[in-house]
Amino acid sequence: MQDVLLKISESAIQKSGANYAEARAQKLYKTMLTLKEGRVEAAKQGIENGVAIRVLVNGAWGFASVGSFDSDILLEAVSNACRMAKVASQRLKTPIKLAPAKAVTDHVEAKPNKNPSNVSMEDKIKDVSEINRSVLGFDKRVKSCTVDYLDLTGYSLYLNSEGTSIQQDKLYVWSRITASAQSQGVFTYSREEVGSTHGYEVFDTQTPQDIGKTVAKRAIEQLKAKPPKGGLFPVLLGPNVVGVFVHEAFGHLAEADLALSGGVLSNNFGKKIGSNLVTFYDDGTVPGALGSFKYDDEGVPSQKTLLIKDGVVTGLMHNRETAQKFNAQPTGNARAEDFRVEPIIRMRNTYMAPRDQSFEELLKGVKSGYYFKSFRGGQANLDGTFQVGIQEGYEINQGEIGEPVRNASISGNTLETLRKVDGVGKDFAIDSGRCGKGQIAFIGDGGPHIRLNEVTVGGSA
Amino acid sequence: MAVLEKDEMLGIAEKTVRLAVKKGAAEAEVYVYEGQASNIAIELGQVSKSNQIIDRGIGVRVIVNKAVGFAYTNIVKDEQAVENVIERALSAAKASKPDSDWKGFPQKKPYRGALEKAFDSKVADLGADELVHLASRMLDSAVQVDKKVFPAEGGIGAAYISNAVANSNGVLGFDKGTIIECSLATLAKDGNKVTPICFEFNVARTFDINPEWVGAEAAKLSVSALKTKPIETKTTKLILTQFALQDLLGNTLIGALKADSVQRGQSPFKGRIGEKVASENLTIHDDGLYQGGMRTWQFDGEGVPHQKTTLIEKGVLRNFLYDNYTAKKEGKESTGNASRAGYLSTPGIETTNFCIMPGTKTADDMLKEVDDGLLVYYLQGAHSSNPVSGEFSVVATPAWKIRKGEVVHASRGVMLAGNIFEVLKNVNVIGCNGRQMGSLVSPWVEVENVRVIGK
Repeated sequence: MQDVLLKISESAIQKSGANYAEARAQKLYKTMLTLKEGRVEAAKQGIENGVAIRVLVNGAWGFASVGSFDSDILLEAVSNACRMAKVASQRLKTPIKLAPAKAVTDHVEAKPNKNPSNVSMEDKIKDVSEINRSVLGFDKRVKSCTVDYLDLTGYSLYLNSEGTSIQQDKLYVWSRITASAQSQGVFTYSREEVGSTHGYEVFDTQTPQDIGKTVAKRAIEQLKAKPPKGGLFPVLLGPNVVGVFVHEAFGHLAEADLALSGGVLSNNFGKKIGSNLVTFYDDGTVPGALGSFKYDDEGVPSQKTLLIKDGVVTGLMHNRETAQKFNAQPTGNARAEDFRVEPIIRMRNTYMAPRDQSFEELLKGVKSGYYFKSFRGGQANLDGTFQVGIQEGYEINQGEIGEPVRNASISGNTLETLRKVDGVGKDFAIDSGRCGKGQIAFIGDGGPHIRLNEVTVGGSA
Repeated sequence: MAVLEKDEMLGIAEKTVRLAVKKGAAEAEVYVYEGQASNIAIELGQVSKSNQIIDRGIGVRVIVNKAVGFAYTNIVKDEQAVENVIERALSAAKASKPDSDWKGFPQKKPYRGALEKAFDSKVADLGADELVHLASRMLDSAVQVDKKVFPAEGGIGAAYISNAVANSNGVLGFDKGTIIECSLATLAKDGNKVTPICFEFNVARTFDINPEWVGAEAAKLSVSALKTKPIETKTTKLILTQFALQDLLGNTLIGALKADSVQRGQSPFKGRIGEKVASENLTIHDDGLYQGGMRTWQFDGEGVPHQKTTLIEKGVLRNFLYDNYTAKKEGKESTGNASRAGYLSTPGIETTNFCIMPGTKTADDMLKEVDDGLLVYYLQGAHSSNPVSGEFSVVATPAWKIRKGEVVHASRGVMLAGNIFEVLKNVNVIGCNGRQMGSLVSPWVEVENVRVIGK
């Protein structure tokens, strides 16, 4: 395959006038299961083959994706991509350039304790059924449970015209569990995701029984919850909510492509935008975490990138194109979901660094507010407006956790909200998730417990 | 790369079904998909990117001992690969568990034949030069509106899609279509002030888009979002545009209308057919044959003919959306709502074109008659709604204040909270300005009594 990719790259540079060319061949194997109330809706197995080609011609990008390894088809595709890029460059005012990257030759092998491709379909169905049983067996008010399971294995072979050539194994194990409960006209809903880049051994530490119990318990506890009051309140956020807050409210703004598009961080580089307690990282090197990998899809090594230190914006997440525009180093954040799409700037494992306060100390500081423990969805806008939905929350009265509340959300402007962090815990956790930015990426996010002295809470009461 | 022709696709589908049965499947179904798309992208205010994707593949669903197995591959022209995919589907079915509710794949029913305004060779044959020209016209039109406008991203794309389906009951169908879309996301900058992203688009099955309108409209919206004032917390009237409706209904109401949710006790509509569930102003059809609709095809992902299904009629719940499995479970016929993500997935229930029937008022009339309320375009966080209870808590980015019939200013960070099933009872006025947005075909809708949390 490597010789075919080399031929593609040479043809782009020598015959079609490209200044830069890269080819990424992937062979992917997927196993997917969906169980609903114990019924196996579908047991699925898939194979995908394909090559992504990207060229720079006269400063414009040309991209082509072909679901084939046939060299004649691929050579036709690269010549088309060059021709289309040339056309696209006609009205270019600012030609695209790439920041330098060191040429790398490497072969990265996954070394799982339990390779999901060696676990039989029967055993996977058994484990996923066990999650289902654990959810439905928790309480008879749990009415439904859907478990989705996915494992992805295979490899990516990357080559570019600057001499980089990397073969990298792919390995993801992921599952999403949702449950609904119903009692006396009240409907509740609970969800959880687990995932790992290590291997199927993720189910040894997070057992199917425990996962099921967590999801079911939350759905049941929400049955007696009431709608929260809307308005400005102090809140205590758990690591799961902090993770999505860091990812949504700040992370997206620190993606250099979005910063360039007019995001609010573009004017704030080097400035203090948060309290002294705020330090954020985007880290692709956390062992086993769902957002970890060795090289990104431009062949740049992944790294631990400091985004905010003690409240001051210190870094952005870059690909080679944005790094050149900012006169910075590429950070290894260029990721593509698969060979059908081009790499774009994506987060890896994004988290807030812990400090020194205990949970009790943080809680004691809240007279009348909320403790938001677990999130359901979140979204941000370039102007800094963020929203995070809450699936598990409680009132706080006089420093003590009170009644549960349901379907709350928090919202605000990132630049205002980061100044309102007035307590950061010493605990730490990273959760597995997926992020949508046109493409889906596996990510991790997390942090310690934190306290905000005020934020807008959306509630219908 | 040349597209797979009709006979070629039908041939692959039929042959693979026969081979699967020969290899031991009690029943078999094969779905063949091809998509070819070209796209010219705008980034940071300039046309700087081109994109071409050719994706084709085959999905095989087999039944062994009432257990379902599925496998897919994107290697379709290689007999060995096709044989492997059948074997993988069979092994998945054998590892799976029997389902006593399984009552067979759909039976053969007649199709309408090629639908009007679903395929346009002009769209299929659009070249890069023409796409760049159209994208540039859109870009120019946006920046001419105001110097403060920055077109952050957008583009224009043309796609050809075809699919073939066959099963061991004799179902055999082929359909093809085209889609063209242009879109622009802009923001306005004034000093240190930056607006949220404001977005407009045109999408059509035939060559019928207006890039100048899209550019100008996106630009005007972002300029009007520059002037902001806070609004007070209160219960108020909202005019929901299609952007807000698509986001909100897609994450709440549509789920409640799927037979799968109803049968699994996840829908508040369970057991309520014939009951009044919404304002009598509201009539909704799912129409898989809606002319020029984004989801208009002759048949669904299981080869069941598309149809028009009345879901809510003058506020009364009439029907749910069914695929073959959920329909047979109740002894009913599928409504043709089995949808697939190309060859990569088994079918699941989805709306086709979700059509909210228009009223008589124009957008201007609707605005004029509001004494105090909000005009809501884009929502943030609708996917964090509770899909089972219908409760939502979202942010409007931004919302525009309406006072005495006039849009007076924008407001940021406005939160809207409530329950979609209560909101449906409070639908006051429905406009006549229908447009398509994804699967939604709807005019503006005015609702009363929504809790708004301001600052």
